[in-house]
Amino acid sequence: MNARALLLILTLVVSHGTRAEAGVMERLRGLFSLGGGKSKTEEPKKTMPRIRIGAFTGGTGASAQQTLRQELLDSREFFVAGADEKADYLVEGTSSGGRVTGKLKDAKGKDLFQRSYAAPGLDENLKALTDDIIYTITGRPGLATSRIVFVSDVSGKRQIYICDAEGGEVHQVTHDKHAAVAPSLSPDSSMIAFTSYRTGFPIIRLLDLNVGWERGVTDTPGSSFGSAFSPDGTHLAAVMSFIGNPEIFVSDLNTNTAACVSDSVGAPSSPSWHPDGRQLVFSSDDGDGPKLYVVEVPQKEGESSRLFRWRTGYHFCTDPEWSPDGKHIAFTTRTSGEWTVAIKPYPNGGVRVVQAGGAEHPSWSPNGHFITYVLHGELFVHDLRSGNRRSILRGYGHISEPRWMR
Amino acid sequence: MNAALPMMKRPAAILSSALVGCLLLASCSSIPMPSFLHNPASEAVVYALGPREGFTSPLNGSLKPACPALVFENANFQLTSAHQQALNSLAQEMGKNKKARLLVAGYTAPNLPSDHARSLSERRSLAVRQRLIELGLEAAGVQTVGFGNDFSPSGPSSDVVVIYRQN
Repeated sequence: MNARALLLILTLVVSHGTRAEAGVMERLRGLFSLGGGKSKTEEPKKTMPRIRIGAFTGGTGASAQQTLRQELLDSREFFVAGADEKADYLVEGTSSGGRVTGKLKDAKGKDLFQRSYAAPGLDENLKALTDDIIYTITGRPGLATSRIVFVSDVSGKRQIYICDAEGGEVHQVTHDKHAAVAPSLSPDSSMIAFTSYRTGFPIIRLLDLNVGWERGVTDTPGSSFGSAFSPDGTHLAAVMSFIGNPEIFVSDLNTNTAACVSDSVGAPSSPSWHPDGRQLVFSSDDGDGPKLYVVEVPQKEGESSRLFRWRTGYHFCTDPEWSPDGKHIAFTTRTSGEWTVAIKPYPNGGVRVVQAGGAEHPSWSPNGHFITYVLHGELFVHDLRSGNRRSILRGYGHISEPRWMR
Repeated sequence: MNAALPMMKRPAAILSSALVGCLLLASCSSIPMPSFLHNPASEAVVYALGPREGFTSPLNGSLKPACPALVFENANFQLTSAHQQALNSLAQEMGKNKKARLLVAGYTAPNLPSDHARSLSERRSLAVRQRLIELGLEAAGVQTVGFGNDFSPSGPSSDVVVIYRQN
């Protein structure tokens, strides 16, 4: 592929001297509120909606009813009421041969939706129904159908794998000659962007999970890595070094053009999008350890943008990821000489250490209630509401770089 | 001056002095640096990488290092005097062969976060390339790659930059 034809550099939008600093008082507030502990901005506990599972008729109806009950309990979004208990919502339906039709009603008996699910497996259909129920009632995406991508060396080479939120249904998705690393899932989970060494050099490729085709996004000299899909899936942020410096570029996947949005003298890495698609947070090491920076992404050619350091109070910060609501940033830092996953409200607030002792590379669940990370090569899911964590995948080689579907 | 203050007001005076001090310190990074303090190295011309066609990766074949590996310590990317010395010798040797081409490959220790490691290794490679160009090598003949800790080079340290000769 002709890299020069592929990549037209539109503009270097951030000039020297535009590194603004966050407000002094804001930083002082951040400074005084440091020291761990839970963030003050945590959501207050709300009463869980009560849902009752009604009759499911048909050959696989009883099994569907039982599985749906477990899925709804596992989601921890509802209180699942008994048959004779009052509830805010009622779900009922039919299931034959693994197919499922589900109907959700509110307490007054008003239909909220009725949908049919015809995937090959009963479990798959019920996971989809569960996520639809969660989204309809809470407005947040469910996790039953969400996926986590990660890197594992279980095959002898680092390759990309995908699993569900419980660590089940693990599939290898790349079979590259040398290694495939740094995966990022598109917002609709249909594509993975990743760094491939198939040519012997790190380049970014896209893999369509539905039809299986692959294409290169960058094949520029130097190195390309650290790709992240924009919230609308039309752009990809990544690090490229062909201009003689590693910089953060934003590529338009429709036009195959790219623009540089950083102004680094060091080593930038790990860009992550704000859910509004207008800002990126990334890590950059200017010689004294990586720190976090925020840059506004220009919406039009030639538009200037602000680039500023976002202070966390820690000297070593990498792998930042914005929460789905844009109110927090999770990142890897180092405490007592060990990797630590922490979150901090954006733009201001106290840092909350989520997991120390070697935890790294955090990624938020789509509903923002959980974080996945790796700890000593195992994949963990951490419930931010209860503080409980559990290993969802172990003994699967050395796992790294997990990324939850956004 | 503080000694003249009544004892009751001293904590307030200390607090306000500390606050003023914090404000001044916090605003330091926004004050433009005087031109005479600028590091001339940061204003050096940066040479973009030319086409990579014809360059072979160490992953795809056995390549011969052009000089001993340059070892980096403490996750740094700045060149040390030992690096400069090795690169001077290499540049002198390469001066005899104008058509020679080099691939500068960076690696890092396995314990760094993966994406940071990739960027750091590429940054190190680019610093070495920049120095080689300043020493007279043609920009088009020197390519870089950063392997981070995705691959380990042979040798006692993995925190290195290896300069491979290209055929």
